[in-house]
Amino acid sequence: MIVKNYGGRPLTPNLHEASGMGEVHNTASQNTGKKSSWLSGITPFLVGLVVALLFGWLVYPSIMYSKEKQPIAFNHQVHLEDAGMACVDCHYLRADGSFNGRPTTESCATCHSVAMGSSKEEARFIAEYVDAGKEIKDDWLVYQKQPDNVFFSHSAHSMETCAKCHTYVYPIKTEADLCKTCHIDMSTATIPPVYSENWLSGYSKDTMMMWECEECHAIPGHRFGQANASNACFVCHK
Amino acid sequence: MLDRRGFLKFIGGGALGTLLTPAPWKFLYDAAYWTQNWSWIPRLKYGASEYTQTVSKLCPSGVGVLVRTVDGRPVRALGNPNNPLSQGGITALAAAETQLMCSPARLKRPLKRSSDGAYVAITWEEASALLLQKVKEAEASIACVSGDETGSINDLLSAFLNLSGSQNFYRMPTEEQAAQKAWTEMGGKGRIGYDIESADFILAIGANYLESWGTVVRNRKAYSHARPTGEEHKLTFAYAGAAQNNTAAGADFWLPSRVGTEIVVALGVAHLLIRNGARSNFFGYNDFAQLTSDFTPEKVETLTGIPAARLIAMVDAMTKAKKPLIIVGSELGNGMGALPIMAGIACNLLLAPDYDASSAGNMVNLPFPHKALTDADEYDVILSRDFIKYAQGVADKEEAPKLLLVYEANPVYALPKNAGVEQLIKKSDFLVSFSNFFDETASQANLIIPSAMGFERYDDVYTPYGSGFISYTVGIPACMPAFDSKPVADVLIGLIKALGYNLNVANAPELIAAKAEALGANMDTLLEGNTFVSDEKGPMSTFFFNAKLISQGLTTQTDLPLAVSADVIRGIGTSSTGIPPFATKLLTNEQLVGTFMVAQMNKATADKLKVRVGSKLKLSNEFGEVTALITLFEGVQNDTLLLPCGLGHTAFDAFSQNKGENIINLTGVKSETGTGLSTWGHISVNAVKV
Repeated sequence: MIVKNYGGRPLTPNLHEASGMGEVHNTASQNTGKKSSWLSGITPFLVGLVVALLFGWLVYPSIMYSKEKQPIAFNHQVHLEDAGMACVDCHYLRADGSFNGRPTTESCATCHSVAMGSSKEEARFIAEYVDAGKEIKDDWLVYQKQPDNVFFSHSAHSMETCAKCHTYVYPIKTEADLCKTCHIDMSTATIPPVYSENWLSGYSKDTMMMWECEECHAIPGHRFGQANASNACFVCHK
Repeated sequence: MLDRRGFLKFIGGGALGTLLTPAPWKFLYDAAYWTQNWSWIPRLKYGASEYTQTVSKLCPSGVGVLVRTVDGRPVRALGNPNNPLSQGGITALAAAETQLMCSPARLKRPLKRSSDGAYVAITWEEASALLLQKVKEAEASIACVSGDETGSINDLLSAFLNLSGSQNFYRMPTEEQAAQKAWTEMGGKGRIGYDIESADFILAIGANYLESWGTVVRNRKAYSHARPTGEEHKLTFAYAGAAQNNTAAGADFWLPSRVGTEIVVALGVAHLLIRNGARSNFFGYNDFAQLTSDFTPEKVETLTGIPAARLIAMVDAMTKAKKPLIIVGSELGNGMGALPIMAGIACNLLLAPDYDASSAGNMVNLPFPHKALTDADEYDVILSRDFIKYAQGVADKEEAPKLLLVYEANPVYALPKNAGVEQLIKKSDFLVSFSNFFDETASQANLIIPSAMGFERYDDVYTPYGSGFISYTVGIPACMPAFDSKPVADVLIGLIKALGYNLNVANAPELIAAKAEALGANMDTLLEGNTFVSDEKGPMSTFFFNAKLISQGLTTQTDLPLAVSADVIRGIGTSSTGIPPFATKLLTNEQLVGTFMVAQMNKATADKLKVRVGSKLKLSNEFGEVTALITLFEGVQNDTLLLPCGLGHTAFDAFSQNKGENIINLTGVKSETGTGLSTWGHISVNAVKV
């Protein structure tokens, strides 16, 4: 009696003995008369595994994103260090608690109605936006834009609510520290970072995922006291 | 060569490998975010919030509002604490006005009816040219009806018709016309007004005071200010009406009265006031006292259903009050006639401490609005014109106008079938509808001019009916028109200019400035959103008890077995707005089930009719018929059905169509004995189970 070995490997001796067989035949090699190649055995499985790992870890993240430049190569460092401005001069909370994330052409034009220096980008900004009456805010690519079903309130995530407790654990000493918890640090950027947009979702690579929000919201201790940050759906999704 | 087995191994390895990478989880996340890009998902506007102080032109209460815009897009209407008719409050209709700007029924461009009856879009140049051509062809044969009750647009329309040689400018019938007639017949030479703020006792007879009557937000504010929670109440409130509505729920005394017995209730109150010692120096008191002598509480109970003891208790409380006010109004909000209101004014005269030429107790004599344009008719002249009589005259035999203009009104839906509106439209050569929405009247027009809505245009609100003081608020545009619509005032001014007439105003803001100047108001202050308020009094008057005319209201009517009490729900709009999409949730299962209107009745009535909850009844009279489902509510008078108003639209959009039936179809116009006013507010029907 011939016992077929569909795995290509010899069956265990105990099994043969238990079945009362004295000889084992490998039908694949015997029938074809060839030795097993790399295409048989575990190799295809391993190849598939490695290809998928390479694709998933290296290729997929790069092909999913387009790379785009901001409309103007705005220099944050110059404005903060040379012009003596503060972050809140442009990125501020309005009186009603809503957040002014991007300055308008009008607000930029309070200084840049005419060129203040020899920068080509400044000259281009004045020509293409200030003089043309075009709104820079509409063209600026937002690195962490959330869809409309996420109601994020900047005013709720303030020094008042976060920094009071975070003195030793994940210390938040300045408002810049607080902003950097979620945002890219722009304070030393001389040109804006490349904007990567996901071709499927249409959102930026830096758009925070829900699990990132939950890094704080899901901590039980944050439900009470100063933070008062429940992880219930309606806290963020109205 | 990779065989099948090797291939499956490769796939298996690939699947496992994929699961060990972030790719599938990232893909799912991205897909979830991608769903937020679907076109039907509402998009938010981000930007600075701004608040514009303006007024609601859709709500008849003339309530002042704050329109919140985000980056220029209107998102919400809120009450305006700076407006005396709002004081921070808002009606449900005014609150829905920002959503109505994007209503599916909104007219988006000028439309012309083609020869096959379909509407075709035309440009503004074509629309203006066609309008000019029709006006020139019509010459003086023009008639116009306006649905605006408070704006200078009426001065503009009136001036336009006068310059064209026509006297046929009308306002849509409102309760103000009946009330003004009553005021004049009782000696008032100014405009009727109600001082509710200083009243310490208010009796509303028929008037749905806390839900829809007059300046309803102001009414509620005065009510809440005088009745702070947990503190002593400075106002006692009583209501006589056929149903236990929200106004009844807020009353200290609810007097459940039969529909159409307002005049009897008022005379019964007067009888008890006189019995409690009230006397008056006003002329005609003795005749009035004689008239009321027959209306004992027992007789009033027989005629109205109000328990005598409850009426006596209410009048005893009123007698102790220092500044009581009696308001008479129609449950339907329109079509009641002047005589019941006169009986109410007579009660106020009885309660007036001394003879006064400027008021009748807490009813005040206001001045008529000053007109903005010299060519316009005076306010009281326009108010005294009866559109229904004109339409019926044309329907009968009079010459029809060649050109009929309808400004933000919907007479086809709002008026009874025998009011002659359909015949007037049929006989007119050309109908132009200036409208915000594709309503029942616009759907019969030859030319539709899309009107910019109140929050998109300069407009104004002068002292609405029900107020007790002069107020004037300018409507300031909070945003650009959402569609290709224009302020009709600008369209008309352009038309008048093209005809070669000179009005001395070049646009809507100048028209409003002319009004402000006529009133003595500061235009700059008005444009900042402030309301001009004045305590100016009307002309000195000689009030008297017109008992002879009041007695004409006591003629017995032959009613059908069941009376209909109208449930006016301000939140579901007016005839001109349809049901705001935002407000359909205000309709409960006691008002609408599926496409069926619901009639509420008490169990005694249901037993009499041998119907139960869910039964279907056909309600009919000589004017029409409707079908309604039955539900039980013990807060309705015997032999009375409570039916919702504002349903049964055949035009507008899916939010208004196929929702119940229009109870106006059960009404018919009659001429009020003594005053000759057109009345249609009293409905009685036969009921047959189907």
